[in-house]
Order: sequence, then structure tokens, then C-alpha cells
Amino acid sequence: MSTATAPGRPPAPGAHLARKKRLFFPFFLPAVALYVLFLLVPTVATVVLGFTDWSGAGDTPEFTGLANYSELIASDAFRYSFLNTLLYIVVGGVGTFLLAFLFTMVLREMRGGKVVRAILFFPNIVAPIALGMFFGIILVYRPNRQGLANYLLESVGIDAVKFLAPENITWVVTGCLIWASSGFYITILMAAVDRIPPYLYEDSDIAGATPWQKFRHVTLPLTWDVVGVAGVLWTISAVKIFELVFVLAGPGTYSPPIRSWTLGVFVFDRSFGDQGAPAYGTACAAAVVMILLVSVLVVALRRLMRRDVIQY
Amino acid sequence: MTTTAPAGKRTPPRKPKPAPTARGLSPLRALGMAVVWLFTALNVLVLYWLVAAAFKTPIEIFTKPFALPRTWFERGQPFRNLLYAWDNAGFGRAFLITVVLVAVASVVIVLLAAPAAYALTRLGVRGSGGLTNLFAIGMGIPFQTVVIPLFIGMAEFDLTNDLFGLFLIYVALSLPFTVFLLTGFFRSLPDELEEAAAIDGASPSRTFFTIMLPLARGGLITALILNAIGLWNETLLSIVFLNENANFTLARALFAFNSAASYQSEYGGLVAGVAIVVLPMLVLYLLLARRIITGLTLGAGK
Repeated sequence: MSTATAPGRPPAPGAHLARKKRLFFPFFLPAVALYVLFLLVPTVATVVLGFTDWSGAGDTPEFTGLANYSELIASDAFRYSFLNTLLYIVVGGVGTFLLAFLFTMVLREMRGGKVVRAILFFPNIVAPIALGMFFGIILVYRPNRQGLANYLLESVGIDAVKFLAPENITWVVTGCLIWASSGFYITILMAAVDRIPPYLYEDSDIAGATPWQKFRHVTLPLTWDVVGVAGVLWTISAVKIFELVFVLAGPGTYSPPIRSWTLGVFVFDRSFGDQGAPAYGTACAAAVVMILLVSVLVVALRRLMRRDVIQY
Repeated sequence: MTTTAPAGKRTPPRKPKPAPTARGLSPLRALGMAVVWLFTALNVLVLYWLVAAAFKTPIEIFTKPFALPRTWFERGQPFRNLLYAWDNAGFGRAFLITVVLVAVASVVIVLLAAPAAYALTRLGVRGSGGLTNLFAIGMGIPFQTVVIPLFIGMAEFDLTNDLFGLFLIYVALSLPFTVFLLTGFFRSLPDELEEAAAIDGASPSRTFFTIMLPLARGGLITALILNAIGLWNETLLSIVFLNENANFTLARALFAFNSAASYQSEYGGLVAGVAIVVLPMLVLYLLLARRIITGLTLGAGK
């Protein structure tokens, strides 16, 4: 590159700025080229393929308009997938954030809080598939040889539960999700709480505020923006839940019963799942629904959380 | 009552005794403490269970979940489960593949993302803000929406079931997060050093390589670690793009092993398989917890 030694006197500041700007493209282009090629172009392709009927390699995509979408609406599998995904986002999200808020109330003035945070954070760097298999063994229901969860239940005299039965699996996955991801959101919120000047809490102590009042009138307003960003992060990650459900609800090789499906499972089943002929067109339409769902929820969340900036 | 800053002078000694309700046992606080400790204890317990179960027989796993492993030790082959998983799932080869793939991909990702993040934050080019947002939006695209066209496209070039193909995809799909993370780091660097370098006659590219990159070292290392963790755990893409045992990554091998071993009720082996994937992350975490936590939560905390 042009690292030619400047002859004699140093170049004028304007010239330096121009040379700086010349650096932009060589620096920026490789990354953005890969980004466009591997993310943007495929996204557009998915949208286009969503309007076609295509069973994959060897077949030519045939334009069918909105047929895939009306097929999706009529399909039980898709309805379960959509509702389950929505349930994970909303119920899982509310559960995770309630837990995280409860923790911020307590952790702020607790000794050993840092250690607690580090322990709770760990599941976030475990592969979802490993988490799924692990929960699968913990939640086994087999009389006399119960998994850890039922072992604990029985040891306190409660009847064992068929956690992994199709009618329970959605709630079990929600629970696992909350358990595994709350550490991440606790950490984000606590980082924001730590930035709140302590005198605000001291003042409210003097005024005799209860923990709830301190949370409601100090913590929540001053961490509102971070809560908003965390909500967006949650939505983005909850939309694509796949491995956890796939290994927890089913036998692992092929798709689990449709009652437990998420949109991620649906797309996988219609494209790369091992059973039946692939239906790439339908899968692409479902993938478009995923991206629409993220966009709508993220925009709605930002609207909902918008308010004037608080200085402190 | 909330935001009344300490009014005026500090004549009275601060730190008066807290009001009676604040300390002590408010019911909400007591409940909160109980939940926090219970939840934390459960996490530790579960981790212990995982490690212990990797050395147990299925009967021990299910009938004595908290006992220390015994049977395999008594039979003189304490590592039986780990060896079973290692041999039957092909973890030996998968481990090697994953280590190399993850290491090379993480380095390449950072090598590509660092100049891009620098260009977006430090070169004063108009439109940089919009382009940064474009990368940020990329973080919100679920992999499922790109995987079908990617698969078709890669098949055109014979890059499916191919580790180089997977490497390309890993690099490309990790860029949005990494670029976004690094723009934060570069933005926080002081202007003065860059200006000083310019006055001393250093060319812009030299300023980048000898001044700014070393300054952003902390950010680069964080980006490296976070990508390594993410790719180590990545499963969906490896399921789609790899279908031959000889090419399997660790997560992909675990996925295949899961169905085989649960069919045979080989629970000891299953837990051992999970442990083989999880324990390297645990070691990394014990060494680098603070860096991992702050790195991963940085985006949200501004």
C-alpha cells in the first residue's frame, strides 16, 4: 500500500485527511463484501424463493405467488411453530426479565454478588445442543430410575412428572431457557445498576424506602435504556431457538413431534430434515416469517421503551 | 423522593444510621436472598452432577445422583465413559478439527473486522454511521433465513460437506457481531495519539498498524475469545453443511452421537460426551471469566 515516505516537509493537514479517507475502501471492503455475499444476498434470495415452489437440487423453482404462505397458514405444524416461538419470546422473556430484576434488587447490596453473577453466567457459553442433551438426561421419567429432576421431586414426596411428554415439552423448554439465559441478562442489568451513583440508594435508605420502592423509583428508571437493549437482544436470540428443542423434544436424528416445534425447527425440517422430500419454497417462506417476526417485535419494543433521556 | 441529589453543603456527617425498614428482614428482600442463593446453589449442584455423572454407570446416575462415582473406579477403568464417547463419537478427530477450525476462523474474523471497524469509526468518512448500523442489523438476521440459499450457492462451488466451505461461512456470519463489538473499542480510543502520529509524519496505514491496533489489543483479544466460544458451540450450520463423519466438528459429532447413544440407553457415554464439549469451555471460563462476561455484555451496556 502507499506508505511512501513523505518527501521533505510533512504533508498539509488536508492532504493527510484525504490520505486517511483513501484508506477507507481497502479496510472496509473485504468485510463488507463477505457480509453482502453471505448475509444480504442470501436473505434476499430467501425472500424471492419464498414465492416459489421448489423441492431442492434437480428441480427448478416455479413461481407460485403467495401459495406458500397460504399453505403455511393452513398447516398445523406451522401454527404450532409460530405460536411456540412467540411463547418462548414472550413468556420466556417475561420470566427471564422478572428473575433478572429480582436479582438486581438483591445482588446490589449482597456480599459475594460477583461470584453469584459469574456462576449464573456460565450456561450462556455452553453449546445449546449440550444443554439440550444435558436437560434431556436430567428430566428423564422412568419409574425407579428417575432423572435428577424427578429424583429431587420424589425425595420431597411429590409425584414424578413426565417432563418430556409432548404436552409438557413447551413449558419445560421455557423453563430451561429461563434457567440458561437469565445469567446473561442479570449481568447486563447489573452492569447498568453498578453505574447508578450510590448516593441515590443512600438517600432512599434514609427516606426509609423498601427494596421495591428503590427498585421502582431508582433502579428501573435509571436502567430503562439498557432494559430496552436487553429486550432486543432477547428477542433476536429467542426467535432462532432450534437445537435445544430439537434434541430435548425428539429422538435427535429426525424432527420431534410437531407440537413442540419452533420456526427454526420448521425451517430445518422442510429443508434439511431427514424425512421426506425437501420443500425449499415452504421453508424459505417460513424463514421470511422469522425475519418479519424479529423486525416487528424489535420495532415495537423500541417504540414501547422510548422515552426522554434521564441524565444522572 | 428519588432524584434529590445531596442538597447543598455536607455539614452533617454523612452515613447516618439506615432507617429501620431498609436493612434487616424486609419480606421481599428475604425472599430475594432465598431465591438468589437457591438458584446459585442449583447451578453449582448441576455442574457437579455433570462432572460426576461422566464417571458413573447409568444406574448410579439415576439412583444416586449426588454420590461420588464408584463402580467404574472399582472396576479399574475410571475413564470408561469418556473413552466410550471419545471412540464411538469420533471425538478424537472432531476435537482436532474443531480446535484448528475455531482458531483459524477466529483469527481471520478479527483480521477482517478490525480494519473495517477502524474504517467505520476513525477515518471520518461520511455515511459511516449508517454503514455501522447496517452491520448491526446483520446481528439480528437468524441463520435459518440465510442457510438455504447459502447451501445451494456453496453446492455450486463444491463447498458443501467441506471444512473450507464451513470456514468461509463461519467467518462471514461472525463479522457483523465482531465489527460491531470492535467499533465500540475503536471509538473509545483517544484522538490525541492518532494526531500525534500524523504530525510525526506517520502514514494513515502506519498509524493504524503501529499505534491504533496495539491500543485496541484488549478489544481484539476479547473479540477473539468470544468468536472462539461462539464457533466452538455452533451446531446448526455444522449440521447443515457437514454430513461425513470424517469432517465433523465437535458439536456436530455430539449431535450424531446423541441419537446413537440414547437409542442404546448409553447414558454414561452421553453425559461424558456433553462433558467433553462443555469442560474446555469451563476451563476457559475459569481463566477468563471477567473478560468473557464484559465482552459479551458490552454491546448492551453502551
